[in-house]
Amino acid sequence: MTGAQADLTAEQSEATDGRAPAGRSRRRLWWPAALAALVALGLGVPALVAGGSPASSTVAAAAAPATDSPEAGFARDMATHHQQAIDMSFIVRDRTQDAAVRTLAFDIINTQANQRGMLMGWLDQWGLTQSTPAKPMAWMGHTYDAHDGSLMPGMATNADLEKLRTLSGRDAEVYYLQLMINHHRGGVEMAQGYVDAAKNDVEKRLAQTMVNGQRAEIDLITGMLAERGAQPLS
Amino acid sequence: MGSASKQTGPQSQQKAPKPGSKAANQAERRARIAELRAVEQRRERRNKILTISISSVLILAMAGGASWLALDAKHKQDKKDAAAKAEQQAKADAAKVPIDGVKTFDNLTRNHVTTPVTYPQTPPVGGDHNPIWLNCMGNVYDQPVKNENAVHSLEHGAVWVTYNGKATADDIKKLGDKVKVTPYTMMSPYPDEQGTITLSAWGTQLVVDKADDPRVEQFFTKYVQGPQTQEPGASCSSGTM
Repeated sequence: MTGAQADLTAEQSEATDGRAPAGRSRRRLWWPAALAALVALGLGVPALVAGGSPASSTVAAAAAPATDSPEAGFARDMATHHQQAIDMSFIVRDRTQDAAVRTLAFDIINTQANQRGMLMGWLDQWGLTQSTPAKPMAWMGHTYDAHDGSLMPGMATNADLEKLRTLSGRDAEVYYLQLMINHHRGGVEMAQGYVDAAKNDVEKRLAQTMVNGQRAEIDLITGMLAERGAQPLS
Repeated sequence: MGSASKQTGPQSQQKAPKPGSKAANQAERRARIAELRAVEQRRERRNKILTISISSVLILAMAGGASWLALDAKHKQDKKDAAAKAEQQAKADAAKVPIDGVKTFDNLTRNHVTTPVTYPQTPPVGGDHNPIWLNCMGNVYDQPVKNENAVHSLEHGAVWVTYNGKATADDIKKLGDKVKVTPYTMMSPYPDEQGTITLSAWGTQLVVDKADDPRVEQFFTKYVQGPQTQEPGASCSSGTM
């Protein structure tokens, strides 16, 4: 309010003798309106801006790893590594009627086939290919000399699998258990390699459960070998 | 500003003319006006302080809010940029861009049949097939295989490498080495095919002359268990050899 306005007010009051003056009511309305406008600006604009940007899709896209990341590498390589454990387990189930070995094989088939699905599903979600020209386990600095179907540490060769297919009964059980110990050792090494490099918590958790689960199974299988009068291969 | 209007009350009451001399009245009137002006000026000062305080708080709040919004928007933009970059990289690396010379075929049937099937493409890229798939865990066959088994493997997401008599021993070795280390691929001779080297996936085919054609690597990356796969997760093991 200016001094001139104040003067006017005093004079008006005298002149109009208590009647509600038009100038006064305009002034009364000016303040609440200005306040309301400011508050609306202060609250409404941020609300509009914040509500206008779909943050969820942005976050999901930002989480997609690159094709040469440990996330993608582990997903691809462990899917391949698992496939052979599944294959070996199917073979032994055809070669023996021993309940303990058939149950172990059944367990490995289900667990590792489901985990394969998770790993491959993540690659799909990330828009990445299942296959890569990169060498197996290059993402963890590994240089494994792939030979005869053994593409990564712990993997049996085609010849090993052929041998398993020719055995039966106790011999098949023992050879399967021996191959599976090596397979798990290689699997634990790779899973631990990913746990150490992981940036994706969900994938890291799966890898950690592989480390824990397969370590425990190595002990179990070592015991099963002893029951059959045999030891691990090396 | 309710207080401002209330204060007009006393002014109105005191306005009533009092008996006395004209001069005294005028002096009294001036004194009252001066007094009222002083009251008015005090109120004005108070209002000014109030106005400035409230305005300052509001302006600061808005400035703070705007800064937060700007920072937040920048943060989101950074994230978006990173995501776009990652996506671009993934796309480039994944060779999701079209590969020159790749032919695609639609409307392929998928029935299991134990009878021989006549396929329109050579080698076939899809259609009815044998219930048993051909093993495709990097299997390299040195004799021709049965179309009906191989087509089943294509349905499972395999890439099938075939070659005719024009392929050199060096090309055959290079391709075989690649197939052996690539699960969900298989390779076999195919004397009747037109192209020297043919790469087939379900509904998808590429002919190249040499093993070191860069499109070979691109085809593997894109189509081994790629988007053309009819049964994702299906096996390449425990079929037939």
